[in-house]
Amino acid sequence: MKKSLAFISLLIFFVGMEFAAFSQQQRFPKPEFESGYAQPVTSMPVPRDGMFALLDVLVLIAVLSLITWFILKKRSRTGVVAVSIFSILYFGFFREGCVCSVGSVQNVVLALFNPGYHIPLSALAFFVIPLAYTLFFGRTFCAGVCPLGAVQDVFLMRPVTLKKWLQKALGLIPFIYLGLSVLYAATATDFIICRYDPFVGIFRFNATFFMFAIGAAFLLISIFIARPYCRFFCPYGVLLNLVSRVSKNHLTITPSNCIQCKLCENSCPLDAINKPVVVKQMEDKRSATRRFILLSLIIPALMIVGGWTGANFHENLAKVNSKVRLADEMLHFDSKTMKESLEIEGFRTSGKPVEQLYLEAAEIVKQFYYGGWILGAFIGLVIGLALSGLSRYQYREDYSPDKGACVSCARCLKYCPVEK
Amino acid sequence: MTDKFKINRTNLSLWKGIAMVAGTFSFIICMLVLVNYIQINRIDPVNTEVINSLVDRLNDNPNDDQLREQIREMDLLVRKAYFTNQWQVKAGGYLFLFGIIVTAIALQLFYAGKQQLPQISEEEEENIILFREKARKWIVIGGSGMVGITMIFAFLTHKELGNQFTEATAITKAKQVETNQADATVVEVVVKEEIAEPVVEEKVEEEFKEETPKEETVVPAAKKEEVAAEKAKTNSYKGTYPTKEMMANFPSFRGPGGNAIAYQKNIPNEWDGASGKNILWKQPVPIHAYNSPVIWGNKLFLSGANATSREVYCYDRNNGKLLWTAKADQISGSPANPPEVTPDTGHAASTVTTDGNSVFAIFSNGDLIAVDMNGKKQWAKNLGVPDNHYGHSSSLIVFEDKLIVQYDQKKNSKVMALSTSSGEEVWSTVRKVRVSWSSPVIVNNGGQVEIILAADPCIASYDVHTGKELWKIDCITGEVGPSVAYANGIVFALNEYASLVAIKPGEKPEILWEAYDYLSDVPSPIAYNDLLFVVTSYGAVACYNAKAGEILWEKEFDGGFYASPILADGKIYLMDRKGVMHIFKAEKEYVEIAASALGEKSDASPAFADGRVYIRGEKNLYCIGK
Repeated sequence: MKKSLAFISLLIFFVGMEFAAFSQQQRFPKPEFESGYAQPVTSMPVPRDGMFALLDVLVLIAVLSLITWFILKKRSRTGVVAVSIFSILYFGFFREGCVCSVGSVQNVVLALFNPGYHIPLSALAFFVIPLAYTLFFGRTFCAGVCPLGAVQDVFLMRPVTLKKWLQKALGLIPFIYLGLSVLYAATATDFIICRYDPFVGIFRFNATFFMFAIGAAFLLISIFIARPYCRFFCPYGVLLNLVSRVSKNHLTITPSNCIQCKLCENSCPLDAINKPVVVKQMEDKRSATRRFILLSLIIPALMIVGGWTGANFHENLAKVNSKVRLADEMLHFDSKTMKESLEIEGFRTSGKPVEQLYLEAAEIVKQFYYGGWILGAFIGLVIGLALSGLSRYQYREDYSPDKGACVSCARCLKYCPVEK
Repeated sequence: MTDKFKINRTNLSLWKGIAMVAGTFSFIICMLVLVNYIQINRIDPVNTEVINSLVDRLNDNPNDDQLREQIREMDLLVRKAYFTNQWQVKAGGYLFLFGIIVTAIALQLFYAGKQQLPQISEEEEENIILFREKARKWIVIGGSGMVGITMIFAFLTHKELGNQFTEATAITKAKQVETNQADATVVEVVVKEEIAEPVVEEKVEEEFKEETPKEETVVPAAKKEEVAAEKAKTNSYKGTYPTKEMMANFPSFRGPGGNAIAYQKNIPNEWDGASGKNILWKQPVPIHAYNSPVIWGNKLFLSGANATSREVYCYDRNNGKLLWTAKADQISGSPANPPEVTPDTGHAASTVTTDGNSVFAIFSNGDLIAVDMNGKKQWAKNLGVPDNHYGHSSSLIVFEDKLIVQYDQKKNSKVMALSTSSGEEVWSTVRKVRVSWSSPVIVNNGGQVEIILAADPCIASYDVHTGKELWKIDCITGEVGPSVAYANGIVFALNEYASLVAIKPGEKPEILWEAYDYLSDVPSPIAYNDLLFVVTSYGAVACYNAKAGEILWEKEFDGGFYASPILADGKIYLMDRKGVMHIFKAEKEYVEIAASALGEKSDASPAFADGRVYIRGEKNLYCIGK
């Protein structure tokens, strides 16, 4: 009780500080422009100086180490909750959700495809460090260091279990999202993960109405469905999921041997506990094997269909690029019947020759054509692997965490009656 | 025995109560924020119906000060309401967040208190085979649906975008080649004309008529003929500009043509106001103003004004005697009350101009007066009070028999030419620009005399004979104070918080280069040979390569500059705000010649006569010579 009150006091203090800082800003409202120019919503906070960027990385390492220790050594859910709250406050509200590991995927891709872009070391560190920890200890980063996951976790109150087949089907969305974000980052079009991050606008208090509504919807859903963004959208989660599957020291539900007491069976709100597979439920080996081989064989066909579809859709994908949009607008602009948009006016005053714009836009469209093929093929591959994976049966006797899907939230630990 | 399964009992009713109060509070705040947000989105503080109708009424009746005041009050009210609403939304956001956090904590603790011991579910497990089958089915349905929808979209929106761009590139390039060829032909014709024609102004028209058939034979396509004819029409000025007379005098702000170049020789470099060194005479100016002196023959002119009086002064430039004072009063249409101006602009910031027959002066209330060389009023009129929040400051300039007035205001900006003899309007051209404080510059650009004006959002050129807009390019923003500079067919313009641009003028003007290092909000630049000198109001001076835009040298001074520099005798004369004239060579490297103090503050540009410099200080007019 005392702890709770102390915590609420701390929150009041924190929100009060933010409020005071915000009130001071109000004395100097942003200027208005007669031209109709609207102040853009800042998509990234001011970058940190070298020392502070290093501090962020050090905090990340410290918090990751601490939460890993809480999960694996102390097996403490309370510790995970405490770290989650710290992460929401520090990486969320204080650092305004940037730099963030989820978005850093795009920095890495942009750096790989554009030699002119120098990736900030902090962004690289935020990409690599959680992956390295995951490789050894499972998704302890997701447990409570990632502010996006943590904020959903604290809202979870009445978990509802989704049907398994629905989870599997929705679980493919993050792969598509990852593919799209890689395509847009590689073509230097946009960082869509950051632009459509549902929580970052809330952390920064500058969300557009639309994004605020999406963020609020995610939080409301989080009350009943655990971590909807992490499970069904997060593109970085895809990488962590894959890496975590081979993690060496992943969290175990039981500290010793499973006694199959079934107490932990419904403890995971993410439904990430693999239950024992009893022989009577297993499919006939021959037909399962035949289907597995068949589904594996059609993967190349799925990739071709996906690639062909993506290539056909490349124009729509390319229109997200501002240069392509402007060139398209310029191409269809008729000064006699249409009013010049701010973008066209801006381009005209830049003095840049229009043929250069068309040339660059044509080049970008071409990149999207090839990008469409690769993205489509990737989605085809993912669907194919998911289908064949669903035909693979693994015999299991114990209750164990699904290493890929488990976010190491440590909720299940106290359900296990086994002592060390 | 472990305490793992110990249930933490919390005060359920307390946390339930807190959760309900905080939840209700959050809901109410959320609703209020939503309503406020919708309100903000519906209001555009700079475009309200009431204010717009009041402004329309004011446009019909520009002298209604009460209405003006009412608009200002309304405007302030609307803006205040807008920003208060914004503040409320954000403050509401913080309160909402706080409420949600407390609700979440209370609910978490409430549910923690309701925890039960783990139960073993007796329900039948979802069959693994069925689940996998269903999952495969839905993945196939989802994947097929995605392919189907994507293909429908792709089919409906497909328009060969890449090919369209490639074709557009080719078409644009082809058009350019065509235009270049047309231009080349036209240039050829013009060159031939120039060679054929003797430089005698009276014969220009005849010669042009004679040359027309030749033009037709050279240019094949009908369109090209039109372009050539158009060019030939506008290129009809064969005189020299500035004229020899203008060059022998110093007839307007920044000298002949307003291009910051004086043609006088033997200009002194060193003087000292305190000791009187090289100060030939010093005379008090009756009413202070920020305009600069102009010279014609032995007479020097300037003006002074305050809220009640507006005067033009003429001094004998040889001995400093005030020859006459002409009052600008009893002018029909002149407002009873002067407009509000800021102290650093004043009521007579515009420099007077002269054509050797008359002197022309304009004041902050729109009064324009022409007096002859003996101070006798020739004509006077009021142009309407300029809607200018600092005060009108654009200087006047004369071309032949036309007095050019740049009248950029918040609304209804225009440039006009008035007859120097009668004041009647010869032409007037509406300008779609915002209010500005720069002055017109007249240049002879390849046989075409153009008035070049700077104001947000463009640099624009007008035919001095007809007022027709020759070209314009959007490249400048903000409250434009500096005038343009011109040399070797390149126009240079700049403004603080915008950029410095070098423009190649012509039917399709081009930006040759752009720079952002040194920008000015008051002093104008000088272009000379291949160099461009930029002076900033905070005290920095930079020299650029005029063709490439690279900085050749830069120098910081202490005093800050409002006065525009003038080039005379290969040297640049730049007066700082403390009254020290910094003199340096107009060369690729900074070479200081002198720094001579006037002994009083000054924001005016100097005027020159052979062997003399004339400077208007804060209170006195100085003549400097050896």
